[in-house]
Amino acid sequence: MSVENVVQAREDSLLPDAKRENLVIRENPDELLVYDLSNHKAHCLNKSAALTWTHCDGKTTVGDLVAILGRELNVEVDEDVVWLALRQLDKARLLQGPVGRPEAIINRSRRDVVRKLGLGGALAVPAVMSIIAPKASAAVSANGTPCSTNTQCVSGCCDRQNAPIVCATDSGTGGSRRKTGVACSSNANCCSNVCVGAPTGTCA
Amino acid sequence: MRHIEPLLPYTRTIRAGTETDVVDWVAGRSILAFGVRIGIRTNQPEILDRLSEYFPPLWKPTPVSHVERLFSLKIAGAGLAGNRLGFHELFEDLEPGTRSRSLNTVLEAFESRVKMYVAEMAPRRVFVHAGAVGWRGQAIIIPGRSMSGKTSLVTELVRAGATYYSDEYAVLDLRGRVHPYPQPLAIRDQFSFKQRKCRVEEIGGVTGRKPLPVGLVVVSKYKSGVRWSPRQLSGGRGVLELLANTVPARRNPDIVMTTLQEAVSEAKVVKGARGEAAETAAMILKQFGEREGQAKA
Repeated sequence: MSVENVVQAREDSLLPDAKRENLVIRENPDELLVYDLSNHKAHCLNKSAALTWTHCDGKTTVGDLVAILGRELNVEVDEDVVWLALRQLDKARLLQGPVGRPEAIINRSRRDVVRKLGLGGALAVPAVMSIIAPKASAAVSANGTPCSTNTQCVSGCCDRQNAPIVCATDSGTGGSRRKTGVACSSNANCCSNVCVGAPTGTCA
Repeated sequence: MRHIEPLLPYTRTIRAGTETDVVDWVAGRSILAFGVRIGIRTNQPEILDRLSEYFPPLWKPTPVSHVERLFSLKIAGAGLAGNRLGFHELFEDLEPGTRSRSLNTVLEAFESRVKMYVAEMAPRRVFVHAGAVGWRGQAIIIPGRSMSGKTSLVTELVRAGATYYSDEYAVLDLRGRVHPYPQPLAIRDQFSFKQRKCRVEEIGGVTGRKPLPVGLVVVSKYKSGVRWSPRQLSGGRGVLELLANTVPARRNPDIVMTTLQEAVSEAKVVKGARGEAAETAAMILKQFGEREGQAKA
């Protein structure tokens, strides 16, 4: 990469650009909800994070964003606030590319920013909350959680032989309990506690 | 465009295990549940009546011969008990599913799959994993996955006078109102975790009929020895909490987000660990009363 390209990349990283494609966006009072169709993550941006994100157009500088936030939130903010917002937006993959933060603020935490702003500036502290939208089948329980039937478990295997009764691991023939149709040597190998044809049978 | 599967004729070639098997499907029926057409066929006509116990609540028979999802239940042997004669098998469309010598296991799997399918595919409804009760003209919903304590809290709320809506799904219409999903309460034994179905009337409750706007969302998980002291969440955070428990979240995020936003628009959303269900239920209803008082003032 030539020196000019390196300089250009550095300048571009200081002009954050928001991701715009494959998103479902809903406005809430003082918040913005964003659903990313590409990774099924949903985000809730508070007012400060939302203002930063909506003004990330690849042309607005961090300095401009400081001015915008100060004006819209009616509190005095500095670059730390904007960088904190950009860091969270970057982590949530809501920006087009990585944001090149200045060395001096890389290790500045959210707590540092909150302390600096004080109580009066609490509104200006950016926050991005994220979740992964569940698959339709996510009603079932993970391994180790209590269960009463096989269908409640991700593994399809509720170990009713041992107490406490919990969803068991099922990894083919190596799991602690095995599903219907998997090879077994004794009843204790199977979720159903029935190994047909033991010792070289299949779990019922 | 939804996949449509013909229910009739009953005889079709399906893959059973590793061999292609021809099963004589001698009986079947189609039902409509929350706008979803489901077909069930079997090689044992006697089982059809028993199957209705496992359908989603508020199902209706329908004469249509084409359905969106076809379940096929192959009963082993001659009698319903036929455990000694082979495996009972459940197929979903043409794919093999649960296979067991225990008929109960297969029927439980059928119940779970058919309810999940309806919850995901229901048109104009958004199914959220949540307990739901009605209280003073508004709904209280308690989102949470299986085993999170929804049923125990719903049971205590009903015992305290709330109207029963559901212990499994809060069914929302596009205006964010909660509709009843009146299945029997699935009460778990404290030690064995086995579920016992209990009609709400058995605990002195009544089932709601009218859709209700959401007044309170309680995000909570049981923790021994804890006294419920929740913090209030913003509307946006409330939408995320519900979304994390919404069945068709990935299938239709556009409609889901709008619906959940409507649902929490006038609701208070609170989050915090809870202790015993009876104590928490009393506190929830008290808090709801205070909120109502504030709203009137």
